[in-house]
This record gives sequence, C-alpha cells and structure tokens, in this order.
Amino acid sequence: MAEKKKKATSITHARYGCAIGAVNTVNAIRRAIPIANCGPGCDDKQFITLSFSNGFQGADYAGGGAVPSSNTGENEIVFGGVKKLETTIRSAFKIMDGDLYVVLTGCAPSLIGDDVEAVVRKFQKEGYPIVHADAAGFRGNNLFGHESVVKAIIEQYVGDVKTEKTKGLINLWADVPYFDTNWKGNYSELKRILEGAGFRVNVLFGIESEGVKSWKKIPKAQFNLVVSPWVGVSIAELLEEKYDQPFLHIPVVPVGEKETTAFIRKVVGFAGIDNKKAEKFIKKESEQYYYYYEHISEFISEYWFGLPARFLIAADAQTTLGISKFLTDQIGLIPAKVIISDNTPLKYQDAIAEEFRNISDDTSIDVKFIEDGYTIEKEFDEADYGYGKPLFLATSWDQDVARKHNGLFVPIGTPNNFEVVLNRTYIGYRGAITLLEKIYSEVVR
Amino acid sequence: MCCHAIIETQVANITDCVLVEHSPIGCSARLPRINITYNQTLARRGKEPQTIRVLSTNLQENDMVFGATAKLEKTVREAYERYSPKAIFVSLACTTAIIGEDIISAANELQDELGIPVIPLECEGFKSKHWSTGFDIAQHAVLRSIVRKKPKKRQDDLINIFALYGSDYFTPLLKPLGLRVNYIIDGADYEEIAQASEAVATTTFCHTLGSYFAAALEEHFGVPQIHSPMPYGFKGTDAWLREIAKVTGKDDIIEDYIKSEHERVLPRINELREQLKGLKGYVATGSAYAHAVIEVIRELGIQVDGSLVFHHDPVYDSGDPKENSLKHLTVTYGDIPDYTVSKTQQFQLFGLLKRVDLDFIIIRHNAIAPVSIRMGIPSLPMGDEHMAVGYDGMIRVGEALLEILSRRKFAKTLKEHVKLPYTEWWLSQDDPFIIAKHPEIIEEAPDRFVKKIKKRSVK
Repeated sequence: MAEKKKKATSITHARYGCAIGAVNTVNAIRRAIPIANCGPGCDDKQFITLSFSNGFQGADYAGGGAVPSSNTGENEIVFGGVKKLETTIRSAFKIMDGDLYVVLTGCAPSLIGDDVEAVVRKFQKEGYPIVHADAAGFRGNNLFGHESVVKAIIEQYVGDVKTEKTKGLINLWADVPYFDTNWKGNYSELKRILEGAGFRVNVLFGIESEGVKSWKKIPKAQFNLVVSPWVGVSIAELLEEKYDQPFLHIPVVPVGEKETTAFIRKVVGFAGIDNKKAEKFIKKESEQYYYYYEHISEFISEYWFGLPARFLIAADAQTTLGISKFLTDQIGLIPAKVIISDNTPLKYQDAIAEEFRNISDDTSIDVKFIEDGYTIEKEFDEADYGYGKPLFLATSWDQDVARKHNGLFVPIGTPNNFEVVLNRTYIGYRGAITLLEKIYSEVVR
Repeated sequence: MCCHAIIETQVANITDCVLVEHSPIGCSARLPRINITYNQTLARRGKEPQTIRVLSTNLQENDMVFGATAKLEKTVREAYERYSPKAIFVSLACTTAIIGEDIISAANELQDELGIPVIPLECEGFKSKHWSTGFDIAQHAVLRSIVRKKPKKRQDDLINIFALYGSDYFTPLLKPLGLRVNYIIDGADYEEIAQASEAVATTTFCHTLGSYFAAALEEHFGVPQIHSPMPYGFKGTDAWLREIAKVTGKDDIIEDYIKSEHERVLPRINELREQLKGLKGYVATGSAYAHAVIEVIRELGIQVDGSLVFHHDPVYDSGDPKENSLKHLTVTYGDIPDYTVSKTQQFQLFGLLKRVDLDFIIIRHNAIAPVSIRMGIPSLPMGDEHMAVGYDGMIRVGEALLEILSRRKFAKTLKEHVKLPYTEWWLSQDDPFIIAKHPEIIEEAPDRFVKKIKKRSVK
C-alpha cells in the first residue's frame, strides 16, 4: 500500500479512454445503437483513442459520428437532463434502424443526479429493446465501461431465462472491441480454433456474431470461456449466478503452437467433449505452423545484420501477457521491461503477476502495473539494454524512447497511430506467424 | 466535439508550454490525434518533432465527492519539474466545473510559487453549444498571459498569421513584400507568441478563427488587423495583398507583384478549368473557411450548389464589414442555392447531400465524409488548411481534386455494399430539419417495436 501511495496519480500519454468509450462496445454488436448520454465532446474523444488513433479501425453501422447523443449542455446541468434524454431516445427509436438501444450515461448527467434508470425503465415497460449502463468517466476507464455495458445488456435485455444448455456451445469473452486494435481478427482466429476443435462458438461482437440473436443465445451455452487475464471475469461470474452457467477462465491468450494446443486441450477437457476432432485439428494446424517456423529459422540463424534479443513491452494485460509468454517461452527473447498499463483492478494483480513469474522454465518476469505514460517511458528509458537492438512492443506514445535507444518498434497497444488495421491477429496458430513476420520485417526495414 | 477539445488543439501545441487537464482521463482521449497534427505542424514549419505534453489529473469518483484541488496542485508541480515549461495552462472540464473546482485561485497561487505563468482556461464542454468557443478561450488566455504587454520594439517586417497546422504557404506569398511570417498559435513557442504585439500587422487564413486575436492586438497594441476579404481566389488574394501593402508601406510595388503573379498562375489554372469542367462540388466546413474554399473552386469553374457551414458569423470581432466573407463570396461569385447553417449531425447530413447533385465534397472535420462516401461521393479532407491560400492555392486545390475524383470508384463500390443506420421512414424524409419544425412527426412515425408488442398480445 505504501508504494501505491507514492505513485503518480496524474496521467500523461494515456493508454485508454474513459467508461463512455464503451459506446464502441455497443457499436461492435451488430445493429445495436448506442445512445451517448453525456456532454458534447465525450464520445467523440473516446472514438479517437479507441478507433481512429488505434489502427484507424473505422466504425460499424451506428458508430463514429452516427452515435445519437443527448448532448448535455448548460441548460441540462442546471435544470436536469431527463427530458432531453427522453426525447433523444424516442427519436432514436424512429430514426436509427437498430435491434437494441443502449444508453450510456457519462459524467455530467451522473453528477447532477439524472434518474436515467427511471426513463429507460419506462421504455422497457412499453416493450422497447433498450437498456442503460453506467459509463461515467470518473468511475473508471473504457474497460470498466465495457463490463458495465455487457452486464447491463445481460441483466436488462437477455433477462431471466431458464433454458436447456447446449453441449459444446461456448460463449466467447475475449477482446474488448476497438480497444484491442486486433479485436476483429482475434475473435475470428479464436472462433476458427474452437470450431476446429469441435465446438460451436457464440461470438458476441463483430462480424463473427449474429448481433442480438447471439446475445439472446447466451443462456443456452454449455459454459462461458474467458480468454483474458481479468476483463470479462466478472461477466462470467454474473452469468454463472444468473444462468447457472459454469465458466473457464484462461488468463493467457494463446499465441503460437505450444500455447494454442494447450489452450484447445484445456477447453476440450473442461467441456468433456470427445477429443478426436480436436486432436486431428491440432495435428493439422501444428504441421502448418512448423512449416512456416522452419522457414523463418533460416533468417533467425544466419542474418548478419543484427536481430533483437531483448524486448520491452507495455500494453493492456491481455496483450502483454499473451505476447510476453510467446516471446519468452517460444522464441527466446529476453524480457527487459514488462508493463501493464490498463489499470488492472488490485484484486486481479497478484494472480497476473504470478503468471508472469512463471512465464517460462528458465525465465521469470517482474511485471509492473503503471498507467502514467510518462512513468512508463521513464521505465523504458532506464531499462538494461545489453548488446543488441532492443524490440519495443508498445503504443505510439513510446516512439520517442524507442528512437532514443535505436530500437525496433512494433505497435501492439492503444493508441496506435502507426498502422491501419482491419482484419489482423497476433494470436492462435496463424496470428503468431503474422507477429513473427511483423517483428522480423522491422529488422530488415 | 466540445470547446475543451479545441483548447487542446491550441495551447497543447505550443512547443515550450504544457497543458494540465483537470478532469477524468476520458477528457484527454483526443490527444493521440492532436499529436499527429502537432508533429505534422512542426515538420511543416521546419521544427524538431516533439510528442505532445499534456498531463491529466485523472480524477476518480472520490475526487468528485471531496474535491481535487490538491491533485491539481500536485500535477501542476509535476508538469513544472518534468518539463521546465515557459508556461502551464490549466483546463477545466464538465466534471470539475460542476463540482466547483476553483482553478483560478489555484493557478494564481501556483504562478506565484513557480514563477512562470499558470494560466486557467474555463473551457468545460457544456459551456458552449459550439466547440469554436474554445478558440476564443485559448486566444484570450494567450493574449492575456503570453503576448508581451510592453512591446520591446516594433518589428516592421514581422506579420502575425493566425493559423492552425497548415503548410508554410504564407512565406512565398509575403516574402516578395519583404515580410517575415509569425505563425500563431500551433507549433509556435512562447517567444514567438510573446512578440505578436511587436508585429507590423496581423492576418489569418480564416476570419472565424483569427478575428478575436487580431482585433485584440489592434485594440490594445495598435498592431493593425488586415481588414479585407481573405486570401482566396484572384479577387480575395488581390484585395488582401493590397491591404497588407497599404499597412506595411509597400504600395509602390504591389500592383506589379499582383500582375506578375496573375500571369504566372493563369496558364495552369486555365488548364485546370478545362480538366474540371462540368464538375459539381459541395463544401462542409466552418463558415468563413467554407466561403473561402467555395471561392477557390468556383475560380476553377466548378459548380457549387450547396454548402454546409457549422456557424454563421455575419460580423467578426473587429466589426469591420470588409471581413464579411459571405457577402464577399456571394457578391463576387454569386449565390449558393442550398446553403445550410448547422452543426455536424450525421442523421441530417444524408438529407442535405441527397438534395444536391455533386461529384465530391470538401471537408475538414471528422464524422462528415463517412456519410458522403457511403452515399458514393468521394471527399477531399483539407487537412492542410493553407492548401487553398493565395494564387497557388487554386492550383493546389485543382490538382488535388483531379486525384480525389479518381476515388469515385471506391465510393461507388462501397455504396453498393453498405446500409446506412437509418430507418426507411427517416431516409424518405425530404427535409433534414423536419423535426425542428414539426416535433410531432416523431410521434407519427412508424413504430417498429410497439407493433410487435401488439401482435404478441393478440396471440
């Protein structure tokens, strides 16, 4: 605790947005319409950190500049914003062509005490598909907002359902849409892998999902699969309580053959399904994987002009853990500095730190949890660089320090001003090969 | 967008100053993009790259309850120790305004303690219905706290250009008159802003943006503002140059200069007029700037039947009718039949664009072109706002449009494969502002959900 107090409370070069950024979580649900109940600049700003300056991902359907907003102004702050919100919602039903409407309430209406719940409940009673979620920026960042929105949809839209479970059907809770630059590609790869292993996969976000139909299907799944060190765990806990649905929590997002194969076996074991299909899939995928692995070995073994030996990484917990595991345990890169910057809640930090301590047989990482970019860049600056060129896996804020140490740079965290990302993944069997291409292309660039 | 976002684009882009944002972290979420424009500005002005320096007090729920002035003080001191800035700006946000944080007292005390200007900005997002208020707030702050109150000397060859991030096209335009340009605010350092009161004159690429700063310099320091149309197209650029010549005592050479410039650019402009013949364009930007861009594309022979401007400022801060940009546009180049004053509301934009025939749209702000491109219309995002300035501006814009038009293929293909997020009922409306005129129409519109409920109850 003493050390906690010494930490800077300010943040320079932020690596996340605030809770209202979960507008983009709603946006990632096909034909869902977010309603931003907040001031005039809030949602626009979050779109910049989460989509524009994060791989220039663009927006689904009713995202980006299309998001309806109550646009809380001085008048509402003084006299209350409930009436304006009600008008905004009513108009959104008529103008925006959607299946589900999600009201996200930001700082200003929360502070003045608008009873948003009462407004939304009235519409719910009239039969409109609408829910409300707490998304005040002072309560938490966009990861808090993401969980808040997901839980709101489960509680208020999916609702109390008693239904048979379908064996082999999994609800997949992995990336936070838009925040994880590669979320689209990551969901596709995880779905491909799980389907290859014999499962049916209920994806809730993006093109692999069927929108609200998938959400209504949640209670039918045999279990929930959380592939992330902490985001989504509380969602799975809610679902366990609500639908008597067990969950499997795999903190390390699988990158590369070893981890992905272990991942598949873990999920198959948990589900208790026949493993024949899974083993066949593993065999085929491994063969392909090592085909490429062999090809890059030429380069790694005899390239004259210098390869990276040490890496420095700073990103959200999921990305940092998954990629660090792959690079230390499979590729043999040396961790010089490993930082998680997503404001991981204290209660999850010990378990995550333990994963890093046991990251590989001969390697232990002392992970740091730091949100302030200035401090992160300073930590990077003071790292032990050794002999070779360092590899930085970080955000566009870290370019200066990478340049100072003549490092290679691969963007993996938010914000990312350096790449246009559409359908890409660094996870699973195929993503790991893409990541190797990316890293070693930096060497020859 | 809110006025808080705008002050970030201004005071956070002064190279040796720092901004402290007194707010939850989300208020800082536009900074990664602002960092792109900032570094582009530095490159365009021949300065070293530098990552933006902004600290957020990163307020939490506890701070909302118990106040956060101590955090603000701590963060300002941190900013001072880390960066040794020439000045520190402190911004208020919605939350800190609502809970009544007294940033003015805090700034005053810290200014005494640190011995540098600590400048409070009351720019909470809900303060104004228009983000452009942020420009006035930033300019006011810079004028009060950085611009030298007692000018050391008059710099007779220095002309202030109130700018944003644009390329240095003002130097080639004004160097023949023996003038050095002093760009303010973006990309400038403390001293460049401080010397604004010593300049021979102040002008801008956009009256909406620059008039507050220019009028104040004229009023308080006798630095004349260039009272003329803005430097766009032949007529505007001629008038602007003549006014500058008058103010700076270059009357004797100006007519020869203008004549030789016309002769220089006319052949290429005539070629472009031929190449762009028959095209129709639409301009959606801030008001004075839209007028300017329309002038330029009309010079190129492009038909402009419609425009969307975000505000209407018939008189600027100086009160001089010579700056009436809409009048200059309509008198010189004719009327714009479908002229709309409105903020950037995407759901209305579809209706606005469908009622005019167009080949391209020119924009600057985000969230407009995503609609037009889905409607099959390519866009020219004028990120370099100086692109259209002066005689060469016409050539630059013409060349860029030829390239943009080629993107119609992308837009046309996209149109065939996307659906806009609006209901059939809304898409069928002819008037995008029908709700303001007849609010009851919302009640009368088909309700997709209530019908379903009735059906269910019949069962």
